This record gives sequence, structure tokens and C-alpha cells, in this order.
Amino acid sequence: MRIGVIKAYFKKELLDIYRSKLILMVYIMPSMLLILFGYGIKTEVTHTRTLIIDNDQSKASYDLVSTFEHSKYFNSEVKNLSENRALDLIKQDKKDLIIIIPEEFEKHLLKGLKTSVGVYIDGSFPSRAKTTENYVNGIIYDTIMKRSVSKAESKALITINARNLFNQSLRDEDMIVPGVISLVLLIAPAVLSALLIVKEKENGTIFNFYSSSVKKSEFLAAKLLPVLLLHGINIFILFLWAIYLFELPFRGSFLLYTFSSLIYIIISLSVGLLVSIITSSQIVAYVLTLIITIIPGFLYSGMLMPISSMEEESVIVAHIYPVMYYTHILYDVFLVGDGLSASKNVLYLIILVGYAAILLTVGSLLLKKRIA
Amino acid sequence: MNRLQVRKVSVTYRKKTGLKPVSLEATGGEIVGLIGADGAGKSSLMHAIAGAKSFDGEIKFDNHIYSSPKEAEKVKGSIGLMPQGLGLILYEQLSVNEHLDFFADIRGIRQDSAFKTYRERLLHMAGLSDFTERQAGKLSGGMMQKLALICTLLHRPKLLLLDEPTTGVDPLSRMELWDILNDIIAKEKTLCIVSTAYMAEATKMDRVFLFEDGEIIDKGKAGELIEKVRPFSYEAAPEPFEKSITIHGYTYSLKPLKLKPKEPTLDAVFFINFIKKYGPIPEISIVHKDRDEDVPATIMEAKGLTKRFGEFVANDHIDMELNRGEILGLLGANGAGKTTFIKMLLGLLPIDDGELFLLGERIKSSDDRQILKAKIGYVSQHFALYKGMSVRENLRYFANMHHIESERISGLIREYANTLGFYRYLDVLPTDLPMGINQRFSVAAAIMHEPVVLFLDEPTSGVDVVARAVFWEMLQRLKDEWNIAILITTHYMSEAEFCDRVVLLRDGKKITDDTVKNLYQIHPDAHNFEDIFLDYYNSN
Ligand SMILES: Nc1ncnc2c1ncn2[C@@H]1O[C@H](COP(=O)(O)OP(=O)(O)OP(=O)(O)O)[C@@H](O)[C@H]1O
Ligand SMILES: [Mg+2]
Repeated sequence: MRIGVIKAYFKKELLDIYRSKLILMVYIMPSMLLILFGYGIKTEVTHTRTLIIDNDQSKASYDLVSTFEHSKYFNSEVKNLSENRALDLIKQDKKDLIIIIPEEFEKHLLKGLKTSVGVYIDGSFPSRAKTTENYVNGIIYDTIMKRSVSKAESKALITINARNLFNQSLRDEDMIVPGVISLVLLIAPAVLSALLIVKEKENGTIFNFYSSSVKKSEFLAAKLLPVLLLHGINIFILFLWAIYLFELPFRGSFLLYTFSSLIYIIISLSVGLLVSIITSSQIVAYVLTLIITIIPGFLYSGMLMPISSMEEESVIVAHIYPVMYYTHILYDVFLVGDGLSASKNVLYLIILVGYAAILLTVGSLLLKKRIA
Repeated sequence: MNRLQVRKVSVTYRKKTGLKPVSLEATGGEIVGLIGADGAGKSSLMHAIAGAKSFDGEIKFDNHIYSSPKEAEKVKGSIGLMPQGLGLILYEQLSVNEHLDFFADIRGIRQDSAFKTYRERLLHMAGLSDFTERQAGKLSGGMMQKLALICTLLHRPKLLLLDEPTTGVDPLSRMELWDILNDIIAKEKTLCIVSTAYMAEATKMDRVFLFEDGEIIDKGKAGELIEKVRPFSYEAAPEPFEKSITIHGYTYSLKPLKLKPKEPTLDAVFFINFIKKYGPIPEISIVHKDRDEDVPATIMEAKGLTKRFGEFVANDHIDMELNRGEILGLLGANGAGKTTFIKMLLGLLPIDDGELFLLGERIKSSDDRQILKAKIGYVSQHFALYKGMSVRENLRYFANMHHIESERISGLIREYANTLGFYRYLDVLPTDLPMGINQRFSVAAAIMHEPVVLFLDEPTSGVDVVARAVFWEMLQRLKDEWNIAILITTHYMSEAEFCDRVVLLRDGKKITDDTVKNLYQIHPDAHNFEDIFLDYYNSN
């Protein structure tokens, strides 16, 4: 490989992406998708599956229960369960919210004594949990306020003991933001690399490659490196959105996040390369890439359905696409933090590297330096 | 010695044969011409030699033998291929300078002072010295073509394969281009293989190979080829004879006729071959249409139309009129502003200054144009066809766009395909077709909705001799039968003679506007229209 040749092509590619405004697509589409999907979930805190345990059974507690029952944000059910049984329901993903009204709730209120309401929220999705918590607080304070005089007073009377519950073993695949990141990083680089190559075929400039001594490896490097570079930056942009906008925790290693994402981008751009081999018009390449990335991306990123709750065949298919492996690693780095100490993560990372190597090799072998 | 030997090389595409086994030999210092009808196999041969397409047979160049693109890698460094198509190898978003840098880099050229001098010379020859910062997408068609050519020459290839390099290039630049080629060949003993649709150029070549249906059917010096058809060329007959073609002041016939013989040109070779194969040119008929009598006599009137791109004035206060039933030729060197002018007429570029009237209406906004859309037909210099759709699908698309009733569309497509002779290509993709065929169906797409005015931007560039003659015949018919007004640009000066009136642009200004007859009177020394054109351009 000659660096000069690659540099020339590389520079040309960047100029072209910049001047043809393709750069907007590179940086707007991924963030837009993330925000769109992310917010779609974030604001959707209606119908929170709520269990209320009323240990008081008084007028005041009925008031509180009925306010919950009449709110569109909550689907409440009142049951008398032990606290532990109730918490299991959250773990089993049957309830999102548990409210425990203590005994002598009314009495304390009347006497002006302090009392505390227990609130357990499913915290798998922090921003959603936060919103839920705010709603719950609002409702409780409002109800109490009707009886006492001021907000300050009611605040002084009641402490709300809110705790987020998080159960990784059940809900990890259910997380939206990592799912969207893995979807976006599957689609966007594939589209870009397919377009960069097919554009030359469609316009005829591919002749510059066919009829000069530019090597296949040089051409590929020049086409794929810009994609890796430009979307490599997206890894960080998406990370920032996830942490600051969606308030995800980040428990794992940033290095693992970056490395696995780069590998994943290589997989994606190889998919684009494969598409570019069988198509010769940009619009066809575009649509085809979208189809073959979005469908598995959606199905197996855990956005629609956690892998753990899939049918057996789907589970097998899910293991064929690389999406699942990357998504798993994303959940780990964001939510769990086991990193490479968990053998599953190591295995999945190796599988991703294998995918990248195979797809890239197949793509390079199939790319022909001549008119089809 | 750069010696090229092509041995029994044939090229096949997925469905059809592009080139049957051909053999030829040539040596450095020679200009070898490939001529022949559109789709005859010239490009296929060039692609094979350049190692851009797989082929059967064997090619030897520079003591390397290869029979596949892969084996050709070792000679690619010393080959320069300029494929057919207006500036095909250029990147719209890159400037002229960026192109030269890019090509120098991918060819691994050291940018020393000798190279810089050479580069300047090429730029100067292409007339691009003043436009080095302009992006390729903003160059005129001919400027793009010249830029593509100098990009191909940049690495001083020993074997130059130029596929219709002069398509869309103006007469002056064509002369300069040949000077450059001759210069390079003399100095560097380059072997140059050129295909061309300008038969006058073929006479400047050392040898020509005549292609037909994927075979070489004749070869020799242009003079020798002409010699062979001398017995069949006559002064134009007043009445058509059976099995003959009467065109452009000639009658061609295989059977001896009692007519005065006339000195043939290379064009004759094509017509004679056509007669041998297909007989006379089939009568062209135009789909019938009732004449609209309410069309105003003046179809288009421009008063002081001006277009500026930043500081650059591309059209400088141009006045022009186009009348019903008139063919108006718009001529001018590359970059003179022809396309710009047409684009302003069509509303594809905003008008910076001046007034425009179409069909008697003053055009001020795009709403004014909306009503007129149905009355205007347009073929762009880059044939705006959809490459992913077959010819039939393209035509259907255009028909739908013009709101033609859907039950009529299939019939119309069949009719146009028959009359314009592209019936057997209906289900082929435009990218797999020779330019001449694409041109014909682009025109079909532009006239299916029966407009009253037709704007044609270089419709005949890169189209073979016979197809061009047929095309002009068709325009005449359209004019006679539909009474349509046609504004056409061309770089074939001989075609100017078919126009009723000619407007000449130079550097964005109109420099003359007159009938062809008057122009000949003003320039009594001119042998042909090219002389007149050069007269205007060479005088200050
Ligand atoms: N978008 C643009 N920006 C800047 N300059 C432009 C733009 N479009 C055209 N030009 C310039 O305007 C001039 C006239 O171009 P135009 O395409 O009209 O030439 P033309 O007469 O059609 O030439 P040709 O015979 O080569 O087709 C050229 O110098 C061209 O570079
Ligand atoms: Mg033009």
C-alpha cells in the first residue's frame, strides 16, 4: 500500500463528503435517531404499572389511593402483600412502581407527626424512573396539602422514601438507549460506505480506480477509513447524549466501549461494502442498506423485545447477527460494569472481531477491479 | 518501443456480445482511430486494453502479455484511459486544481518543477488556467471534458486510450487538442488510440479501424476508406431513388445512378455501410398532432438576460428571439454561456437581470412557468435519465410527470420507440446503451407531451454520423409537422447549416445573430460554417 495514494483518495473523500453536505447526514442522523427513540420512551411514563400496599386503610390513605387510581400516569392495583413479595414483582418485570403506605398514616398526619411513605421504582431506565418519582412525589404532596395548610407544612410532615430498584439480570436487554446506539451504529456507517463506493460507480469516476495502478487494498482503505473516522466521532457524541441527556449510568470501561464500538463500525461499513458490490445506483444502495441493517437492528438490539423473552428460533437467529453481541457489551459498559472480567463479554468481543474480520475479508475479495 | 498487439480479443456483457474477436497491432508514435456506429464495440475494446473489463484473448503491450484485468495491473501505470461521457471521471465537488493534485497523487507523480511546468501547459491548453479554483460541477460541459483529458495526460502515459475525447468540445479547442496530442506523440512516442464521432478528425489519424456490430470491418488510412466509397457518392438527387440515401447534399447508392459523382467524405463510409446492412434509412414519421393555431408567433423573447456567478458574468445582457416553426442554433465555444442561457429560459437558474417572455407571457416568478410547463420540452446536456430504470420505465416516468393519460402511455412509448428506432432497447438500462441511443430516447421523453417549443442542449454530441442525420431529419419533421420552435446547441459546425438562424455567443455576450445564408454572404471566403465560426472567434 502506498500512503500517498491513500492520502489522496482520503482527502478527496473528506472534501466530497463535506461539500456535498453528506457530512450533515453523518452527524445528524445518528443523534436524531437516538433522541427520537430515547425521548419516545422517556416521556412515555403513562400507565406505570403500580402496586399500592395500603397498611393503614384509613380515610387519608383511601384519598391517596384514589388519586393514584384516577391518574392516567398510573395503572394502580391495591393489594395486601408483604414488602418482599411486592419487590419480587418488580424484579419479574410485572410492576414498575410500588407504593407502601405505612400503618397509622392518618393518625400521624392528624397529630402532625412525621410519617414516611415507601416508594420503590424500577430504575432500569433512570430518566424514566426520575420522572416517575417526580409524579409520585407530586401526587402525595398534593393529597396531603388538601388536608393541611401549606406545601411547606405537608413537606415537613411526610418523607417519601423513594428507592430505585435495579435488577440487571432481568432487564438489561430492555434498555432503550444502548439499543438505539447499536441500531444507529449499524445503519449509519453502512449507508455511508455503500454510498461512497456506489457513487463512483454511478458517476463513472470508478474508472479512475479500474484503469490506474491503484491497488484494491488502497482503494478500500481510502473508502473505508473516512467512514471509520467520521463515525468514530459519533461513538463519543452518542456517549455524551446517553450520559447527559438520558442520564444513563456508565459503570464499565470507556476503553471497552470505544474499542467494541470501533469494531462494530467496521462490521457495519463492511455490510455497506458488500451492498456496494451488488448495486450500481446510489438510491438502490441506500434503500438496500437500510433494509438489511434496520430490520435485524430493530429485532435484535433488544429494543422491541428482550432476547431473553424471545422464541427459540428467534434466539438462534439473534445469535447470527452481530447486533446482539454488541448490544450486550453496551449494556455491560453502561449498566453493569463487569467488563472483561465476565467471560461472556470477552467471548462476545471476540465474536465481534471475528465478524469484522470475516465481513471485511469477504467484501474485499468480492470487490472487483473491473467493470461488472 | 511501445508496441501494442491485440490478439483475438472479445468482450461479452451479461447478456450480449460487446466485441467479437478482433486483432490489431500498433506502435508508439501512431494515432490510431476507432470509428463506427454507436454500440459497435469501440469502447469495449478500449476497456479491454485498459484492463478495466475482462475479455477473452490476449493483449501484449510494452512486452507484457495479459489476458485479464488482473494481469493488466503491471501495465496500468503506463496507460491512460479517458472513458466516454462528459467529464465522466471527474468529481463534481473537487476544483480543477484539486483534480490535478488527486490524479498526480494516485499516479504517484513527483510534483517537481518539471511537472509543474507540464501541468501549467496542460491547463493553458485546456483553457482552464483562469478557472483553477472552480469546482468541476460548475464548469461547462466542454470544460469538464477538457479537464478530464488533461487529467488523463498528467502521468504521460505511453498508451493513451481516448474514447470520444472531443465530444462536446468546441472547434477551436478541438484543434488545440490535436496539436497537443501530436506534440506529445512526437516527443514521447506515445501510442494513441482515439475514437471519434467527428469524421474530420479521423482524417488526421495515421490509421483508422472501422467497427460494426462488434467487428472490425475495414481498416486503413482515412483516404483509403474514402476511396472505396467513391463510386457510390453522388450529388444530391432531386427525387429519392430506390435503395439510396439522400442527405446533406449527397446521394449514396450501391447501384450506379445517372447522377453527377461527388467527392465523398468519411461520412459516406457510414451511409454506404448502412445501406449495405439495412437498406435506405427508414422513413421517419412523427406521431401525428393537430397544429395549435393559438400559439403566438414569438415563442420566446429575451431582453438583456444576464446571469452572474459571483463576479463572473456567464450571460451578459443577451437579447434573443425564437419564433414558431423555427430552428435556432445557439453556438459558442466551451463556457460561452449556452447552457446557462437555456437554464435561465427553463427556470433552472434564476435570472439576475433582464426580461423574459415565453409564449407572449412575461415570466417573473416560478408560478408563471407552472402553466407553461406542458408546452416546453427540454433535453439537457447530460441527458437527465434515471440510470436505475430501463428505457421503458424512464419514458413511463416522464409521461406520468407530464400527466399523459395512463392508458395512452404504452401505445405512445411503442410509437416513439418505433419511429425513433430504439424499440429493441426498450428494456435495457440507459447505462448499458451507447450515447446515440440514449439521446434518441431522451428526445422522445422530451416530446411525448407534445410541447410547442423544444430546448436541446447538445443533443448530437457523441452520436454517430447516421444517427445524427436521422436525428436532424426528425427535427425537420417536428418543425414541419408540429410547427414547433427549436432552440438547439451544437459543436458540429456542419449542423449549424440545418438551422434557420444562428446565434453566436462569446464570453457570455451575443456576437452575432443572423440567418445562415446571410452569414455566408458576410464571409465570402468561408468554405464551411467552421470557417465562419473561427472568423468570429479569432477576430478581436
Ligand atoms: N454554478 C456555477 N457557478 C460558477 N460558474 C458557473 C456555474 N455554472 C456555470 N458556470 C460558468 O459559466 C460559464 C458558462 O457555462 P455554460 O455551461 O453556460 O457554457 P456552455 O456555453 O454551455 O459551454 P459548453 O459548450 O462547454 O457546454 C462557464 O465558465 C462555467 O464555468
Ligand atoms: Mg453547455
